[in-house]
Amino acid sequence: MAEVLIAAVALAVGAGAGYLLRGRRDTARPGTAAVPPPEVQSQDLARFAGAVTPVWSAQIDSSRTQMETAVGQLTETFAGIVENLDTVLSSTGVLGEGPGGVFDRSRERLGEVVGTLDSALTGKREALAELHSLLSLNEELREMSGEVTRIASQTNLLALNAAIEAQRIGEAGAAFGVVASEVRQLADRSQNTSVRMVEKVDKVAQAIAGVLATQEAGAETEGTAVAHAHGEVQAVLDDLMSMLATMRQSSQGLEQAAVGIRGEISDSLVNLQFQDRVNQMLEHLRDNIGRFPDVAAAAAAGAAPLDAQVLLDELAARYTMAEEHDAHQSGSAAKVNESEITFF
Amino acid sequence: MAKTILIVDDSASVRQVVSIALKGAGYEVITANDGKDALGKMTGQRIHLIISDVNMPNMDGITFVAEAKKLPAYKFVPIIMLTTESQDEKKKQAQAAGAKAWVTKPFQPEQMLSAVAKLVAP
Repeated sequence: MAEVLIAAVALAVGAGAGYLLRGRRDTARPGTAAVPPPEVQSQDLARFAGAVTPVWSAQIDSSRTQMETAVGQLTETFAGIVENLDTVLSSTGVLGEGPGGVFDRSRERLGEVVGTLDSALTGKREALAELHSLLSLNEELREMSGEVTRIASQTNLLALNAAIEAQRIGEAGAAFGVVASEVRQLADRSQNTSVRMVEKVDKVAQAIAGVLATQEAGAETEGTAVAHAHGEVQAVLDDLMSMLATMRQSSQGLEQAAVGIRGEISDSLVNLQFQDRVNQMLEHLRDNIGRFPDVAAAAAAGAAPLDAQVLLDELAARYTMAEEHDAHQSGSAAKVNESEITFF
Repeated sequence: MAKTILIVDDSASVRQVVSIALKGAGYEVITANDGKDALGKMTGQRIHLIISDVNMPNMDGITFVAEAKKLPAYKFVPIIMLTTESQDEKKKQAQAAGAKAWVTKPFQPEQMLSAVAKLVAP
C-alpha cells in the first residue's frame, strides 16, 4: 500500500516535471507556436505548482490518515485477540493441573468420607466385641451363682447335722442347736438369693444376646454398604479421571493452537510497524511538496533561481530513516534496515 | 510484583506492538501519545522503565527524556529510545539527555525484551 502511494506521488511529480520539460522542448522546436519568454514560463510554473500541490498534499494526507486509522484499528483488533487468547490460556491451566489437581483433591475428599464410614463401622465392631465379652462375664457370674447355691445347700446339710447332734446331747447342746438353726436359715436365704441371681443373670444374658443379634445384623449391612461405597467412590474416581484425561488432552490441543495463533498474530503485529515508517515518509514528502509553490513563486518573482536542489536538500534534511537517505541517493526503493540496539 | 513500563509513542500500532510483547513477558504497561501526555501520566505512578519514541508531536522524545530526568522520582529510571531516527546527532542528544539505550524501528519483540531485561528484570 505504501509503495503504491509513494509511486503515485512520484508519478504526479513526474507529470509536473514532464510539463516543464515539454515546455522547454517546445521552446527549442522550430516552426511551432510562439514560446512564452522565461519569466512567463516561471509564472506559469508558479501557478501550476500553486494549483496542483495542495491537491497532491491533500491526497497524501488522506491516504496517510486512512492508513493510520486502518492499521490502528487492525492492531487494536489483533491486540484484543491476543488478550483474549491470553485469558483462555491462563484459564486452561486449571485442567492442566498435575498430581495436586482437581482429581487428587476429589479423591482425597471422597476418601475422607469413606474413611469416616470405615471408622464408624470399626467402632461398632469393637462395641460388639465388648458385648461378647460381657456375655462371657455373665456366664461366669452364672457359674459363680451356682457355686453359691451348692455351698448354701452343703451349709444347710451341715447345720441340719449340727442340730441333730445338739438335740442328742440334750440340755448341754441346746445353745448349739439354736446356732445350727440360725445357720440353716442363713443357708436357705443364701440359696434363695443365689437362685434369684441366676434368674437375673439369665435375663441380662438374654438382653445382651438380643442386642448382639440386632447389632451384628446391622454391622453386616453397614459393612456391605461401606464396601459398596468404596466400590462406588472408586468407580466415580475412575470416571472422573477418564473425563479429566480427555479434557486435559483436548485442552492441551486448544492451548497449543492458541499459543500458535498468538505467535502468528504477534508476528503480524510486528509487520504492521511499517505504518509508522510510511507515515513519516509521507509526512516528509507532503511537507516538501507543500514547499514547491513557494520555491516556484520565488523563481517567478526573480527572487531566487528555480533550483530543484533547494527542495531536495530540504527534503533530505527532514529524513529520519536510513532507507529514506538510501532511496534519495539511489533513486530507487531502499531496503529497510534491521533493528539495532545501542546501550549508552 | 510485575514491573511497570511506560510506552510513549504517537503511533498507535507501535504502542500496541510494544505493549503485547511486554505484557507477554509479564510486565505491566502504561501508554502515552507523546512526551507531554507521558509527563502527565507519570505523576503518582511507580514506573520502572520508559520506552519513548523520538519524533512526536507536542513534545519530542529527547525533550521528554530531559524533562523526565528533572523529576526526582524518575532521575534513575532507565529510558529506552525506540525510533526510526538514524541520525547519530539525535542519538548523542538522547544520550546526553539521560537515555540508557537506543533501539531502531522496525524492531523484533525479542530484541526489545532483551534490551528491557538488561535494564530492568520482569
